[in-house]
Amino acid sequence: MRGIQENLQEFAAHGVRPVAICVDLPAVSENLRKKQGYSFTFLSDPQTEAIRRYDLLHKGAGPEEHDIARPAEFLVDRSAIVRWENFTEDIRVRPRAQQMLAAAESIRW
Amino acid sequence: MLWVGLLLLVLAILSNLLYFLRVPAASLPWVNLILPVLALLFLLIGLFRAFAQSQIYRGKIWGSVVVVLGLLLVAASTLFFVGARKLPRSGGAPQIGQRVPDFTLSDSTGQPTSLAQLFLASSGAPPPKAVLLVFYRGYW
Repeated sequence: MRGIQENLQEFAAHGVRPVAICVDLPAVSENLRKKQGYSFTFLSDPQTEAIRRYDLLHKGAGPEEHDIARPAEFLVDRSAIVRWENFTEDIRVRPRAQQMLAAAESIRW
Repeated sequence: MLWVGLLLLVLAILSNLLYFLRVPAASLPWVNLILPVLALLFLLIGLFRAFAQSQIYRGKIWGSVVVVLGLLLVAASTLFFVGARKLPRSGGAPQIGQRVPDFTLSDSTGQPTSLAQLFLASSGAPPPKAVLLVFYRGYW
C-alpha cells in the first residue's frame, strides 16, 4: 500500500487507478487512509461478495476465524478484461509498485 | 563455531526485518527459514566441541543456552513459514484474458461504488485506462 501511495503519480501517468479491497468496514479503511495518508480508493467487502466472486476467500484466516481475502492483484482494462495478475505464495511477499508499473507499461492498450 | 552460530542467529532474527526495507522480497521467506537452521547447525557443532574437548573449547553453559534459543527460533520460523504459505489455490479466480466479475462495494466514505464507476473520471483526473484491483487481508 505504501509503495502504491508513493508512486501514485506514476500510476496516474500510466492511466492506472489503484483500488484496494478488503473485508474491513468503511470506517476502518477510512481510519487507515487518514492515518497512513493514503489518497487512493479503498473498497469494503465485509460480506466477502466480491472476494468470493473472484475466488480469493481465505476461510477463517482473520481474527476470530473470520473469512478474509487472500492477497492478489489484478490489472483490469476498460472492457473488464484481466491484463496482468499476481497471486502471492506467501503473505509476506507482495509485488512492488515498480513491478506493477512495469506490467502496466508492457501492455498495449 | 559457537560465535559463528551466535552471529548467524542474530542475522536470522534481523532478516525478519528485511520486509520493511526495499529489497526484492521473493526469496526472503527462504532466507528467514534457512538462516536459523544454519545458525543452529553451527551452534550444535560448537556445543559438541565444548563438551567433547572442553580443554580446548569453552562455552558449555552459554553454548547450551544459545542452542535452546536457536531451537526455539527454528521452530518459530518453521511454523511461520508454513503458516504464511497456507493460502487457498484460487483456481477459479479470473485469469489473464478473462473478464472479471462485476461488483458494487462501499468505498471508505460509505459510497456504493461499482467496477464500472471506477473507470469514470474523478476529481479532475481523466478516466483511467486500467484499474489495479489490490485485494489484501485487511487491518480489521
